[in-house]
Amino acid sequence: MNKRYVMVHDENKCIGCQACNVACRTENDVPDGVARLQVRVEGPFGEMPNLHYSYARISCQQCEDAACIKVCPTGAAYRNDDGIITINKDKCVGCQYCVAACTYKVRFMNPVTRVADKCNFCTDTRLKRGEQPACVTVCPTNALVFGDANDASSEVAQIIATRATYRDKVHLGAEPRVYRIPAKKGGIAS
Amino acid sequence: MNNIWGDMSQYDPVTWHWVIAVYLFLAGLSAGAVMVALALRWAKGEQFESPIIKAAALVAPLAICLGMLCLVFDLTKPFHFWLILINYNLSSVMSIGVIALLLYIPLTFAYALLVFRAPLANWPLLGGVAEALLGWRKPLEVLLFGLGIVVGAYTGFLISAMNVYPMLNTAILPALFLVSGISAGAAANALVALIWFKTDSHSAEISGLHRVELPVVGIEMLFLLMLFSALYFKGGAAASALASLTTGQWAVVFWALVVGVGFGIPLLSRLLPAELRHGKGVTVLAACASLTGVLALRHFILYAGQSYIS
Ligand code: SF4
Ligand code: SF4
Repeated sequence: MNKRYVMVHDENKCIGCQACNVACRTENDVPDGVARLQVRVEGPFGEMPNLHYSYARISCQQCEDAACIKVCPTGAAYRNDDGIITINKDKCVGCQYCVAACTYKVRFMNPVTRVADKCNFCTDTRLKRGEQPACVTVCPTNALVFGDANDASSEVAQIIATRATYRDKVHLGAEPRVYRIPAKKGGIAS
Repeated sequence: MNNIWGDMSQYDPVTWHWVIAVYLFLAGLSAGAVMVALALRWAKGEQFESPIIKAAALVAPLAICLGMLCLVFDLTKPFHFWLILINYNLSSVMSIGVIALLLYIPLTFAYALLVFRAPLANWPLLGGVAEALLGWRKPLEVLLFGLGIVVGAYTGFLISAMNVYPMLNTAILPALFLVSGISAGAAANALVALIWFKTDSHSAEISGLHRVELPVVGIEMLFLLMLFSALYFKGGAAASALASLTTGQWAVVFWALVVGVGFGIPLLSRLLPAELRHGKGVTVLAACASLTGVLALRHFILYAGQSYIS
């Protein structure tokens, strides 16, 4: 059966510490000045003493209907056998069409390799070895859950089935695979 | 301010810069020059090489080659551009453009050989090829005209195929770029014919070009109005993109260069008395103004379009 790898980011548990951001940088050799993954912390919102922050994961959303694949003239942006969208470095000419077209504006040109780059759930490294993506492993509050949503017994499938989740910019029709559990204002709910 | 999550510069939504605007301008101009010259030739049933046809035969290959240079050197891996010639993805407008250009560019050169066969007659190889092509003139012209439409529209499809940019992701953009390419092509033909081939500005050829000018500018204005009203009625992020018409440097570029220079000067020049209006100076000025306007329009659409995302 086809896999449908998804990521869940629990915005209640997230504390914006950027451990995921740093782990990703190390695992994937991401040069300074660019990032595959950031957690944007905005706020505070509300009135004293009920202040709260928002935590948004900014990374490739692994779109079901991916603009980057459609526009890439060489097929360098492609979906691999696991259903994960990744980049064939040897085919990329650096036209930046995918960077411009990305629905979530998370692709970038890697200044060292000069090819397009973005999160691919550590598909070539950790996933291949049967490990979880680097960000998931290091998160100190277990705010990230990763797995195959087509496997009904997986943790991600159960979260999606039972918790209130949302996805970013669904009106654009890309069908992103990053699910977010919205924060209850003012505190951590587990 | 430093964010704890890191540098934000990669998230600037403006990905393609002025080099791409110049490329879109040159590709549209090349296709427009071919279409205008061929249409005039067919309409008049010309049997000789008119200065307009000569101008187009020169402008079309030169402009498209310059444009290709812009495109290639804007790649982050310019010396790997051949990758784009051996890998194709038919859902990508860029890939389809590559196919169209691979047919169009050699044809513009073939047509130039044909048109300039007289001065080339003494060249050993070129002269022979040019003579051989002569028998194929009509099918060659029809094919070139068809590919001109494809290339002209492609420059618009290339950037309209991105649904994250509401101003670019509109059905009218390819049509707008096709028409403004035609106006740039007509202006370039006029300039080259007047300056290089020393045509008289009162000649039938130049007045033929003048007759194209008015309807083309009218259609361009209409398409712009359609573009902006579509954004306005769509609301939300699309309507926010209209702010580019009232704020920032691209508003100045639009109103001063696209509307003022690009539409205003050629239209106002038509109000001059006939003697002046058909003079060489005024014709050259109007053509330069049109070219400036179209180049500015490509910049405005590209930058303002990429500045607003949905
Ligand atoms: S988020 Fe962007 S890079 Fe990731 S799959 Fe979607 S379009 Fe492609
Ligand atoms: S930059 Fe590379 S991956 Fe992106 S569209 Fe161009 S060739 Fe494809």
